[in-house]
Amino acid sequence: MIFFDSAHAATTNIELPQDMAMWDRIQAPVDISANGHLIMSLFNYTTGMVIFFFILVCIGLFGFSYFYSEKRNKKAYYTYGNKGSHKKVGLIFGMAVFVLIDMAITVQSNNDLVNTFFNFPKGKDVVRVQIMAQQWLWKFRYPGEDNVFNTDDDIVTINDLRLPIDKKVVVQMTSKDVIHSFYLPNVHQKRDAMPGRLSRMWFELKKTGEYDIACAEMCGTHHYIMKAKLTVYTQEEYSNWLNRANNIALAESDPEDLDRYWGWKWEE
Amino acid sequence: MAFYEQHIHAKPKTFLSKYVFSFDHKVIGKQFLWYGIFFLGVGGIMALMIRWALAFPGVAFPVFGSFLFPETGGVIPPDTYASLFTLHGTIMIFYAITPILIGCFGNFCIPLMIGARDMAFPSANMLSFWLAFVSGAVLLASLFTPLGGAAGGWTSYPTLSTLIGSPGVGQTLWTLAIFILGVSSTMGAINYITTVITLRAPGMGYFDMPLTVWGLWLTAILNAIFLPVLGAGCLLLIFDRVFGTHFFLAGAAATSGTGDPILFQHVFWIFGHPEVYILILPAWGIVSDLLSFFSRKPAFGAKATALSMTAITILSTLVYGHHMFTTSMSPLLTQTFMTLTMTISIPSTVFFFNWLGTIWRGSIRFHSPMLFSLGVVFVFGLGGLTGLHLGTVTTDLYLHDTYFVVGHFHYTMAASVLLGGFAGIYFWMPKMFGVMMNETLAKVHFWITMVGLNGVFFGMLILGYGGMHRRLYNPFWYEFLQKLIPINTFVTWSAILMGFAQFFFLWNFIYSLIKGKKAKDNPWEVGTLEWTIPSPAPHYNFDSIPVVKCGPHELGNPALGEEKDFQYQTEELAKV
Repeated sequence: MIFFDSAHAATTNIELPQDMAMWDRIQAPVDISANGHLIMSLFNYTTGMVIFFFILVCIGLFGFSYFYSEKRNKKAYYTYGNKGSHKKVGLIFGMAVFVLIDMAITVQSNNDLVNTFFNFPKGKDVVRVQIMAQQWLWKFRYPGEDNVFNTDDDIVTINDLRLPIDKKVVVQMTSKDVIHSFYLPNVHQKRDAMPGRLSRMWFELKKTGEYDIACAEMCGTHHYIMKAKLTVYTQEEYSNWLNRANNIALAESDPEDLDRYWGWKWEE
Repeated sequence: MAFYEQHIHAKPKTFLSKYVFSFDHKVIGKQFLWYGIFFLGVGGIMALMIRWALAFPGVAFPVFGSFLFPETGGVIPPDTYASLFTLHGTIMIFYAITPILIGCFGNFCIPLMIGARDMAFPSANMLSFWLAFVSGAVLLASLFTPLGGAAGGWTSYPTLSTLIGSPGVGQTLWTLAIFILGVSSTMGAINYITTVITLRAPGMGYFDMPLTVWGLWLTAILNAIFLPVLGAGCLLLIFDRVFGTHFFLAGAAATSGTGDPILFQHVFWIFGHPEVYILILPAWGIVSDLLSFFSRKPAFGAKATALSMTAITILSTLVYGHHMFTTSMSPLLTQTFMTLTMTISIPSTVFFFNWLGTIWRGSIRFHSPMLFSLGVVFVFGLGGLTGLHLGTVTTDLYLHDTYFVVGHFHYTMAASVLLGGFAGIYFWMPKMFGVMMNETLAKVHFWITMVGLNGVFFGMLILGYGGMHRRLYNPFWYEFLQKLIPINTFVTWSAILMGFAQFFFLWNFIYSLIKGKKAKDNPWEVGTLEWTIPSPAPHYNFDSIPVVKCGPHELGNPALGEEKDFQYQTEELAKV
């Protein structure tokens, strides 16, 4: 059974957010995930360091331009910049950048990757979804009651992903035609969906509501309308919806329809 | 290798042999300049059309919109939009920046600055330009094919760029054009490398070369190594499109075989990451020299600058994987590429420090080339530092393919290279054409460009942080992007301002060519070899090959006395 939310597909009546402070406008999308703050805190640290070092550059650039213009400084200081003191100051700056930015963010990012983003959860409690991207829509597949993918009782939706709150979700994705990218702005992550390959991503949602899912990789003329809806339910709502969807899926399953079986065996 | 005397051809007599099929490196340099400026204009108009569509979706493009898109009443249609950003990227990178920075300055400056009469291989040099010309013609022709020009982004990832995603012949022609341009640039690169190695004037060691030549030489080395890789990728793509092979087809898209679209990404970025340094290295070289010339003191740590540029050249070949963090590469590769990418900031810090060290305690003359060079320090500071966000895997998972990336690479590749290119044009104009450009107009050009440019590219960084992803025909289709409408409008107005500023340049450039003030032989009072000869540079440059006795940045030496604060490279180093 395919659910097609027609009301969602036709969101053309844009209501512009009019009275919004500029500061609120330039914020990143609201974080609804358990681990998005890791990405944002690293972003903020890097930005802080970038601002600090850019201010240093500007002090040099504008300060020297002001104090050492031809008018104020008639005679230039003749040096090749190869004195011991010159090299020492240069070395200090180089080390400061290396330690404060490079080492700090590389180590932090590496830890986040190893402990969180590349550390895929396993077990019965994990919600599993398969995603098939194609020009220009997203298909989602839930394993159904038997918990096995690509069987008759699978729930298949188009452009409509519904997930429970506070559960770890693992998605596996591939593409039917060109490369797409599964982009969850509110989770602050994206992953490419590529033909002939499986890629995967995991996250845990912490806020109920409706959010946008986008395709972030150029995939043709209508790349910009390749949008899906993410609905985050409470666990109770989710199991209600899942039950309903299961029944419909079983009732309307048509074994003759080979197009239905685009799923694959789940790869742990 | 030692220096050798070059063969001198007779002075060309006919118009055709003098201005069209010329062997003279100076004429070929100017041909590349005109070619680059033409495509800069084309790419710039495309950029404005893209920005128009983003800020005012559904509104007809002003002035000639209804002429270009009569079916939609002047509104840019989505397929044209995709074609526009594809060709904007392609044209700006391969047909505007490459010809101006590498084709023009490489050809013009290398022989003059190292004291040679011409390139090592003059006819390969001519062929290089005319192949670039053919390539440009093929690219423009691709726009007029039945299904329109290429529309897969300048990266042209398969399977979108194969018949699955773009069936038209436009994409094939695009790929062919890039291949031909690759041949042309490789030819030029071999020529530059050979020239620098074999034709340096007697007495000129590698560290006596101006840093401009260093930048151009390192660029040529990267070009010679990595353009063939891109060429191979393009050929395989053409095979997939025309001969039905399956190099880049997989999954449901392939009928059989073991192709892989990600293979193209590897091939593309092995070339593509060095490419960004190919574009920026000449600008770095020019800026390093000009900062020293106009501060009237030697380049601070010139040897360290040259060596850190070399270090970046080497590192740039090892970091390409950071363009592919979201493709679910092996975690080991991801972490390796992240760590390697981060190490680039060490040599970058060194030459930033040296740039600031150069103007420190100088006696700065704010002529237009200097203003543009200082502008490069500013915009490249922003561009380079924002690269840190993107080299980090976790933040890149969010920022990848958003406008943050667009802002970052425009700051590094577009803003820095453009300003560096303008600095070079204002600086070498006297030697190229024998005329001075108007300083007031040049300064107006600089300040308006700076305001517009920062509005555009900083706006893009903000849009990217707000989550807006790239290559969207209408970003406001998404609810979470609707709050960004005013920022998009702001970016577009800044882009229009930046485009407007270029008319000051165009007017200045053309007016000085026709009626400009005649230039002195050495108007900027610097000592590198090209300023020892008359302006404009005469046929075969040097009557007798100069003998180099000191470095390129001998300015402000207290031993020189009162009347002159610089010395030519042909003079013995003054000692107290």
